[in-house]
Amino acid sequence: MIRRLLLLAALALAPAAAAVSPGTAEVPALAPAVAAGALPPMAERLPRQPLVADFAAEGRMEGRYGGELRMLAAKARDLRYVSVMAYTRLVGYDAALRLKPDLLRDVENEGDRVFTFTLREGHRWSDGAPFTTEDFRYYWEDIANNPDLSPAGPPSVFRVDGELPRVEILSPIRIRFSWRKPNPVFLPSLALPRPIFIYAPAHYLRQFNARYTDPTRLATEAARRGLSSWAALHNKMDEPYDLSNPDMPTLNPWTVTTAAPAQRFVFERNPYFHRVDPAGRQLPYVDRILVSLAAPSLFAAKANAGAVDLQARGLAMADIPVLKEGETTHGYRTLLWPKAEGSAFALYPNVTTNDPVWRAVLRDVRFRRALSLAIDRHTLNNSLWFGLGVEGNNTMAPASPLYSEANRSLYAAFDPAEANRLLDAVGLAARDASGTRLLPDGRPLRLIVDVEGKAGTLIDALEITAEFWADVGIRLFIKPGDIANIRNRSYAGDTLMVASTGFDNALATPEMVPTGLAPVEQANFAWPKWGQYHETAGKLGQAPDMPGAQRLMTLYNAWCHSGSTAEKQAIWAEMLALHAENQWIIGTVSGDIQPVVIAGQLRNVPESAPFAWEPVALIGAYRMDEFFYGDRP
Amino acid sequence: MTRYFLRRFATMAVTLLAISVLIFVVIKLPPGDFLTMRIQELMAEGDSAAATKADFLRSAYGLDLPVWQQYLSWIGLWPRAGDYSGLLQGNFGWSFEYDLPVIDVVGDALGATLIVNLAALVFIHLLAIPLAVFTAVRRRGIAAETITFLAYLGLATPSFLLALILLFYLNRWFGISIGGLVDPDLADAPFSLEKLASITVHLIVPIVVIALASTAAMIRRMKANLLDELHKPYAVTARAKGLGPTRALLKYPFRMVLNPFVADIGNMLPGLISGSVLVSLVLSLPTVGPILVQALRMQDQYLAGFILLFVAVLTVVGMLIADLVLALIDPRIRFGK
Repeated sequence: MIRRLLLLAALALAPAAAAVSPGTAEVPALAPAVAAGALPPMAERLPRQPLVADFAAEGRMEGRYGGELRMLAAKARDLRYVSVMAYTRLVGYDAALRLKPDLLRDVENEGDRVFTFTLREGHRWSDGAPFTTEDFRYYWEDIANNPDLSPAGPPSVFRVDGELPRVEILSPIRIRFSWRKPNPVFLPSLALPRPIFIYAPAHYLRQFNARYTDPTRLATEAARRGLSSWAALHNKMDEPYDLSNPDMPTLNPWTVTTAAPAQRFVFERNPYFHRVDPAGRQLPYVDRILVSLAAPSLFAAKANAGAVDLQARGLAMADIPVLKEGETTHGYRTLLWPKAEGSAFALYPNVTTNDPVWRAVLRDVRFRRALSLAIDRHTLNNSLWFGLGVEGNNTMAPASPLYSEANRSLYAAFDPAEANRLLDAVGLAARDASGTRLLPDGRPLRLIVDVEGKAGTLIDALEITAEFWADVGIRLFIKPGDIANIRNRSYAGDTLMVASTGFDNALATPEMVPTGLAPVEQANFAWPKWGQYHETAGKLGQAPDMPGAQRLMTLYNAWCHSGSTAEKQAIWAEMLALHAENQWIIGTVSGDIQPVVIAGQLRNVPESAPFAWEPVALIGAYRMDEFFYGDRP
Repeated sequence: MTRYFLRRFATMAVTLLAISVLIFVVIKLPPGDFLTMRIQELMAEGDSAAATKADFLRSAYGLDLPVWQQYLSWIGLWPRAGDYSGLLQGNFGWSFEYDLPVIDVVGDALGATLIVNLAALVFIHLLAIPLAVFTAVRRRGIAAETITFLAYLGLATPSFLLALILLFYLNRWFGISIGGLVDPDLADAPFSLEKLASITVHLIVPIVVIALASTAAMIRRMKANLLDELHKPYAVTARAKGLGPTRALLKYPFRMVLNPFVADIGNMLPGLISGSVLVSLVLSLPTVGPILVQALRMQDQYLAGFILLFVAVLTVVGMLIADLVLALIDPRIRFGK
C-alpha cells in the first residue's frame, strides 16, 4: 500500500518536473556535478548560439532525459561507427539531404572558391576548453603542413590543380579558406561519414607535438609506448574518427570513456554538446551508449534476446524472421528501412581486363546491353526480395533529386530475343554443340563472375542469372572468394566480371562528388586500371581509351571545377544518362531492406528512412541525439 | 640426467627456431600486408587520404623491409631503428590491428582462455573417466550401450550449431545473456559474488559444447585400453587372489590405462590456449582463439606470429613434461633403459 502511494506521488510529481521553465532545467544525470560545482550550469555550458533542432519540420516531439542505448560491435575498431552515427560535423546533411551548418554557426560560400566559417561563440570541447579558430590553425599549420605528421602535405581535397588554399584567421570565431579556382569538393568532404577533420583540439594535442613540447621528453614517452617517433605518438593520440583515445576531447554528443582492449565500451554524454531541443534543453536526451563486442554471427540472436536498443549494422534481410520472432517477448521493434544503394545486385564487366579477346567483347556496348536485356529482373525480385524491390538499372533512388525514370528502365526490360539479336550482331553468333556461344577466337563463351563468398544473396542472384544467360547462349560460372583477394585480382586485371552491390550513394544531390560514376577509383570493378591511372596520376594503370569513359572523365573534371549548382546538376544528369546508355555497371533490383532494431520505448526514430553509408552516415543524418525513451506503449 | 636435459633443451631450441621461420613464412605467404588490407578498408569508407598515408605507415611499421629482415628483427637478431629488440630480448612485437603491444592484447585474453579451457578439460575428465570405466566393466548392459550411443551422438553433433541452440534456449528459459563470458551489465563491475555467478552460468554452454565432442573420443580410447588390460593374466591373478572387484580394478588395470593420458599432456597444454577456436568464435568468447583468427585474416603478422609461436612453445614444453612425468609414475619406463 505504501509503495502504491509512493508511486502515485511520483506520478503526480512527474508532470510538475517536466513543466519547469525551458532552458533552466538541468540534465538530471549532470545535476549532481553542477550542484557540487564540478560543472557549470547548462546555460554556461552551451554556446551562446546553440544549434536549435527543428522538431516541427522533422515531426519530432520533445523528449526527456535518461537511459542508455546498448549496441553491438564486432571489434574495438568498429567504435568508429559510433562516430559515424553520432554524425557531428562542421556541416552535415539533414534527413532531407540539405547541407547545413552543424558545429559551425554559419558558412559563407562565394562560388565554391572562398569559404568563410563562423564558429559558435562560447562553444567548448567535451573537457570544457574553448573550441576556436586556434583549433583550425593547429590542424592546418601543425598537422596538415607538418612534414613529420603529414609527409605528403595536406589532403588532396585542399588541392585545386595543385594549389593550396589561403587560410586566414579573421577572429577567434571566424576563419577563411580561399582558392583562386572553385573547389566544390571541399564542403561535401566535411560532411562525409568519414570526414576530413580540419580542426583538432590544440590545447590537448600540443603536449604531443615536438613544436610545443620538449622533443626528448616526447621521444621517451613514445618509446615507453613502443612507438618509433613523436609523430607516431601524436597520430595515436589524435583519433577523432576511431575514438580509440578516451583522453582526447571531442565535440560529439557522447564521449568514449573506455580504452581498448575491453569487452564493453561506455560512452558518456558530452556536457558541452552544442545542440538543443526547441525548448532550449541540451541534447542528447540519452545519457549513455554501451557498445558490447560480440561475434557478428550472434548479432541477430542477441537482438532477438532483447540485448540491444539500437542496432542496424550487422543485421541483414535474412535475419528479419528471427528479429520479428522475439519482438513481443522482449519488447523491441524491428523497423524495415530501404537501403539506398544503386542496386542490391549489380554486375561489373571489367572493361580493362587483361585477356584481349574478352576485353574486346566486354567493351562492346551491345554485349553489355544484351547481358542486361537477358536478365528477368522481375523473377529475381520475386525470388530474393519478396517482390519488394525496385527493378531497373543501377542508378539513383527515387528519393534523390537526380532520379530519372528513363535512366532506370533503359535496356532494363526483359527481352531475350533482342539480346540474342545483339549478341549475334557482336560477332558471337557461332555456337558449340551445347548451344553455348563461341568467342571470336573459338573458345566457348564462359563468363567467370567473382563474388564475395560470404555474400549469400549475391550468390543466389548469380545462380538465377546463370539460368537467364544460358537461355541466350552465355555460360556463367560463379567463383566465390575472399573480398580482399577479389580486389587484388581485379586491380591486376584478372577478373572478367564481379558481382557486388551498385552505387553506394543512390541519394546523391548535385552538390555531392560524382566519384562512383567516373573512372577515378581502382576499387571500382568496372574499370580498375583506369581508376589506377587516375589515382596514381598516370604512373600505373591505363588512361581511359573509350569515348564514353573519356566523356565521364571530362564531366567529372568539369564538376570538380564548377562553382554553380545548375552546372553540377547538368553534369550529374549527363553522367547518369551515360551510365544507363553504356551499362558500365549492370543493375538489377534495388531496395534491399535493412532491419533496424530499436527498443520498444525509443522515440523520434523514423519509421522508415533510407539507410546508407553515404550521405546519411548510416543513421547519422536522422540525429541520434534526439532519440529518447518514452513511456511503454 | 643433466646431459639428458641439456640435449632436450638444445633440440627444443632448434625445433622452436624452425617453427618460428615456418610461422613467419606462412603468415607472409598471401599477397599484400596488413596495410593493404587496412587501406582497402579505408578507401571503401571513403577516406581519400588513405593511399597517401600508406607509405608513411609502411616505413613506420617496417613493412617495407625485405621479409628476412622483418623476420630477424622480430626474433631480435637484427637491429630495428638502431637497437636489437625482439622476442629474444622480451619484446613480443606490435599489433597493428589493436595498435597496442602484442603482449597487452594477448595478456588480456589469456585469463579467459585458461578459465574456459581448464574448466572444459576438468569437465571432460570428470565425465569421461568414470563413464569409460563403467562401460568397460559392464559392457553388455543397456546402460553402457546407452552411454556409448549418447557419446557418439555428442561426437557427431556439429558443435557450433549446438552452441547456438543452447544459447537461445538458456536465454529463453533462464535469462542468461547470449554470448560472452559475463553478463554485459557486470562487465565493468568490480569482482563480486554476483559476477562470479554470472561467469559460472556463462561457462555452461562453452564447456558442454567443447566437452561433448572430446568426451566421446576419450571414453572410447580409455574403454579400449581398459578392455585390453582387464583380461591380462595379472588382472585375472589379482581377482583369483580374492581382491575385491573395485580394488582389483583400480589398483592395477586402471593405473596402466592412465599412461596415455600423461603422454597426452604434450597436446593438452597448447590446447589450453589454442583449443576451442571455433566454439569461441561462435559464442563470442573473449579468448585467444578469435584474436588469432582475426589476426590471420588481417595479416597482423606479429600478433598472429606470437600466438602461434606461444602455442608451439607450449607443445614442446608439454612434451618434455609428459616424458618426465611418465618416467616418474611408471617404474617400467624409469628402469627400462
